[in-house]
Amino acid sequence: MTTAMKIKVVQNVLKANKDVADDNRRVLRESGLLALNLMSSPGSGKTTLLEQTIPRLGSEQPCAVFVGDLQTTSDAERVGNLAAAVTQINTGKGCHLSAAQVAEALKGIDLGAMAYLFIENVGNMVCPAAFDLGEHRRVVLLSVPEGDDKVAKYYTLFQQADLILITKVDLTEVCGFDMARVRADLAKVNTRAPVILLSARTGEGIDAWLDWLKTQRKQVT
Amino acid sequence: MHEGSIASAIVEQAVEAAAAHGVERITAIELEVGLLQQVVPEALETAFEFAAADTPAEGAVLHLTQRRPEAVCRSCGHRFEPSLETFSFLCPACRQADIEIIAGNEITLLSLTCDEKSP
Repeated sequence: MTTAMKIKVVQNVLKANKDVADDNRRVLRESGLLALNLMSSPGSGKTTLLEQTIPRLGSEQPCAVFVGDLQTTSDAERVGNLAAAVTQINTGKGCHLSAAQVAEALKGIDLGAMAYLFIENVGNMVCPAAFDLGEHRRVVLLSVPEGDDKVAKYYTLFQQADLILITKVDLTEVCGFDMARVRADLAKVNTRAPVILLSARTGEGIDAWLDWLKTQRKQVT
Repeated sequence: MHEGSIASAIVEQAVEAAAAHGVERITAIELEVGLLQQVVPEALETAFEFAAADTPAEGAVLHLTQRRPEAVCRSCGHRFEPSLETFSFLCPACRQADIEIIAGNEITLLSLTCDEKSP
């Protein structure tokens, strides 16, 4: 004969990723570098931003880059000659990077020698928002051709951002992009994160971005 | 979103807890799901069926309760419930949108209901 009994558990189902992320956070905090999680749609300019940034930081500020993609090594190849260390993380069908993948990649890097770790997440405005990697700062990119309605549509991601980069701003007029609408939506979702307007082509905003990096690095190290 | 990996984690943790208490079959699992996770209950139930197959959790019924989001304003300290319907994280006290989410983002395995063999 069987009887029913209740077992009290009270456990966080998502603890597996959280535990690894917390471990990563501790390792990164002790290492003296600034770790950034770059998140956006595909094609918004994450890799181009790294191509513009790393040479400007120079050899006195070595950069490690983790590139997350389902397939190909093309982004890692683009930054390969520029960064001190590049690791391509191919997720297969995975739509976001996980803390476990980052933990594994961290083992192969001499963290103490690096000034910055740029984690270029899989191009996706939905899933990366749910997965803490252990980073110091979350940077969200929105490119002008994507449209000015994306803050409203993907508010979870924008709410988490420590910095918001509007990229390809040289196309604002051609695309009819309404920056005022983006700012109005951000005013409801995230008033903490600064917004920097960037153009890789014209160089607009790059200095502001580099200044922000420098300030953030001072804050965490 | 990601109901598949959530379901796998539920099965793994439920089976582990059941084994620790020496029970053989789980008949129900009580979960609290934070609304910010935006889990679709039907998708979770379907994913759970697959994940639980051939485990002591096979056939268990999921009982889901919702946890509404709660936030603390980082600017003024006010506690409030952000609106998911209007995607507004504006603090009603100081009108800043700079919040720390303190509830509604977790999925908690509350308890298991099990069959226990009588001695």
